Amino acid sequence: MGLRYMGTELIRNFSIIAHIDHGKSTLADRMLDLTGLVSGKQAKEQFLDSMDLERERGITIKASAVTMPFKHEGKTYMLNLIDTPGHVDFHYEVSRSLAACEGALLVVDATQGVEAQTVANAYLAVETGVEIMGVINKTDLPAAQPDVVGEEIEHILGIRKNECFHISAKSGAGVKELLEAIVTLLPPPKDNSDKPAAALIFDSHFDEYRGVICYVRVFEGALRTKQRIRLMGSGRTYVITEIGKFSPHMKPVDTLGTGEVGYCIANIKKLADVTIGDTITDDSSPAEKALPGYKPPMQMVFSDFYPGNNTDYSSLRGAFDKLALNDASFSFYPQSSPALGFGFRCGFLGLLHMEIVQERLERESNIDVIQTAPTVSYEILKKDGTVKRIDSPSELPDASHIEELREPFVRLEIITGTDSYGGIMKLAESRRCKLIKTDYLSQTRVMLEFKAPLGEIVYDFYDVLKGISRGYATMDYELIGFEKSDLVKINILVNKAPVDALALIVHRDKAVMRGKKLIIKLRRAIPRHQFEIPLQVAIGGKIIARETIKAYRKDVTAKLYGGDVTRKMKVLKKQKEGKKRMKSVANVQIPQEAFMSILDTSD
Amino acid sequence: MIPISEPISLYVHIPFCKKKCRYCSFYSEPAGKHDTKRFVKALIAELEMYDFQRAVRTVYIGGGSPTSLGGSLLLSLIKSINLHCRTASEFTVEVNPGQVDLQLLKKLRKLKVNRLSIGAQSFNQPELDFLGRGHSPEDIEKAVVYAKKAGFENIGLDLIFAIPGAREDYWVRSLRSAFYLGPQHISVYSLTYEPGSVLYDDRQAGRLKPVDEETDRGQYEFAIEELARAGFIQYEISNFARGGFTCRHNLAYWKNKPYIGIGPAAASSYRNERKENIDDIERYIEAIENGRLPSAGVQSLSPLEVACETAVLDLRCMEGIDLEQFISQTGFDARQLFSKSIDRLYCQSLIEIKNGCLSLTRKAFPIADSVLSDFSSPD
Repeated sequence: MGLRYMGTELIRNFSIIAHIDHGKSTLADRMLDLTGLVSGKQAKEQFLDSMDLERERGITIKASAVTMPFKHEGKTYMLNLIDTPGHVDFHYEVSRSLAACEGALLVVDATQGVEAQTVANAYLAVETGVEIMGVINKTDLPAAQPDVVGEEIEHILGIRKNECFHISAKSGAGVKELLEAIVTLLPPPKDNSDKPAAALIFDSHFDEYRGVICYVRVFEGALRTKQRIRLMGSGRTYVITEIGKFSPHMKPVDTLGTGEVGYCIANIKKLADVTIGDTITDDSSPAEKALPGYKPPMQMVFSDFYPGNNTDYSSLRGAFDKLALNDASFSFYPQSSPALGFGFRCGFLGLLHMEIVQERLERESNIDVIQTAPTVSYEILKKDGTVKRIDSPSELPDASHIEELREPFVRLEIITGTDSYGGIMKLAESRRCKLIKTDYLSQTRVMLEFKAPLGEIVYDFYDVLKGISRGYATMDYELIGFEKSDLVKINILVNKAPVDALALIVHRDKAVMRGKKLIIKLRRAIPRHQFEIPLQVAIGGKIIARETIKAYRKDVTAKLYGGDVTRKMKVLKKQKEGKKRMKSVANVQIPQEAFMSILDTSD
Repeated sequence: MIPISEPISLYVHIPFCKKKCRYCSFYSEPAGKHDTKRFVKALIAELEMYDFQRAVRTVYIGGGSPTSLGGSLLLSLIKSINLHCRTASEFTVEVNPGQVDLQLLKKLRKLKVNRLSIGAQSFNQPELDFLGRGHSPEDIEKAVVYAKKAGFENIGLDLIFAIPGAREDYWVRSLRSAFYLGPQHISVYSLTYEPGSVLYDDRQAGRLKPVDEETDRGQYEFAIEELARAGFIQYEISNFARGGFTCRHNLAYWKNKPYIGIGPAAASSYRNERKENIDDIERYIEAIENGRLPSAGVQSLSPLEVACETAVLDLRCMEGIDLEQFISQTGFDARQLFSKSIDRLYCQSLIEIKNGCLSLTRKAFPIADSVLSDFSSPD
């Protein structure tokens, strides 16, 4: 089968880096095709995107790996393609994939050009020290401009334009040549087969029947079935029950040698028992030191989830447990809010990550949640000199204890057409972004670099940006650190009672505007009640804005006789069900949209 | 024959009108289009599918407008009903003020009809025109005078308020004109825009603007006060009667007691079943002529659903839910079923508990639906 270990000389490990829709999955499919692993259009169009959600959104969330045999000049090479996610939130997983590789293909759409995330991920690849090959895809499309795109690649990423591969993943043109180039241009893994076993866990997932499945890249020595292994970070030992490769389905082998990529099952019960980035070694003759691991993922966006209608606290916890099993970058801890009862504070890598968790929660566990608007972490320098990090406005101590409030800033890169330059600058200004650098990629495309408060871009910045640029602009951000800012906490009072879940930390200059907008949205989102409801915005004890929801004045069915009863009951029942889905605060029924309305900063 | 053993109310639906009113979405067709003789025959045949024994307490012939059948057909129908429902002690016929004459009323009275419900709606010609009623304020006066002359001592008038474009004094005038005629019963309805009616379409298309909530509420509250001053006791959201003249037939609906409806689109409620008849005249007649029940569908309710229905209906009545009686009627304790809602609504002074009855407060009447929805399913 060509999957037998032949020394590192015949192994090539690589990732594909690409912006969403630039054709990464199609290219992967074509490679599987050409190497004979998946024939034609096998059941699923794009093999590597295994979760429904990924397929729908056209993005890849969890890294996967596949081993492909490839014949070249009489020898059979073993090509290991390690998949990477393509979105702004998933840097962490990209770096995980890259660390298991010697090379990376940087795929750019010939009709779209270089996008912000591609730049960020390419820089990441450069940092990791892997060899990068430029690939221009979709060259067969009428709108393709391979030369212009080639220039962009050369300009931003320093890969020579004439060294880029021109392919069409869809038709397969140039893909065979690309595979050959992978063999000839990318270095084989270093041969450390004589050393004690050291394998990097670069990903893992949980299988209901088999426990944790670790995705491993062997750097030194070899892993065998029935071997007693030790996880160097945790010190725990296990016995390997099965190792194998993805071809693309799981296929057991006896040994995974140096340079090889595959999976390892060792009766590990919980995903939490395995730290991604940990090193697997032999328990009786361990490696001297662990392989360089990973930075733990940085959670930058937080939101509270409360059980909604038909859902109780324990089933929400069960659902989160299940999610966390397969997503190491998601975290949750119990939290209680006077307004909303018991729920969980959840941490995410970014907004997209949050949306994905939300959808998986509904789809996989079929439960209702009420979710508060996302916020970022803040740092507080207290009067006593200590620094505290908070990820919820409710944790903010009394103003008298605060010396200084700090918020996270990011380096924000936006690549866009020059025609939307003005609009984007205006948007940036309104979100307190400072322009650092303007870099013209070509006559019509420009890369803008800003210093931006993360809090201003986690909401709807990306959507507005897409709107302004008619979908063309792309963005990426990277945390710089926390800096002092003139921030205040605004409280929202519904029917005179503060609703902690609606509290916000905002820049002082924007407090009145944000507060006002927010209660106007609340006014629209909260249905009328049997009484008048005042909505107020307060900083400390001072009311800075007010709106009123008028009471119902007339809401009664005039005629109700025999034939009308069944129909009327249906209507009333539906009303009650609607009410049940809301949370009651100070006798006011607040629908979930009201909480979500804070998220939307548009008018 | 379906044996009916429990006490019931009988509703008979006459789906014909001379002309459909603009606010009406009830099933009705112009009488001239159909063979009304054949229809009445079918109606009587449906009646004969039941074995009422001594079960019928009240009879109500409504529509449409029963008077559009014409005198002789209506009278022969009533004769048949009398034959099968000897035990009925309240017998109401709806009459359209534009279609009554003294002779007919006298004959009705002789046939044991003892209550008339007169669709007055308004005493202002512009409003009657707007509603598409096809009669004048004088017609109403004449109808009431004739009714009295014919020997009716239980006369009800229906009135509609919240009519767009009305002059400020119109509602006062309608109410006072009604009082002047001395009926025993008055129903006041806020104009509703039912899907399927002309007014609904006009509103959807922006051709007319309903009165604002404040006016609607103001007119409702004004009516409650005026009616009380004139000696009418409110016993349901929209219904007022002089002492002893509540409509027992309608009270059966609101007490969730059993009733059988015959005629197209008529609804029945017997034990836990809710049935509705075919709403098309031709298909209705065909079903009966083929010996089938003209049912368009039967829905079975669980005891819990029946309990919720009972609670909602009870609350529309001033008396409210008689807590002890509710338990014996439904098998559920309303205080447990709706405990959270009761606590909340009580704090908001929207409900009160007096003499073992849980009822809406005066404050809750104008916004009753939002309160009733809390009782439509258990907490």
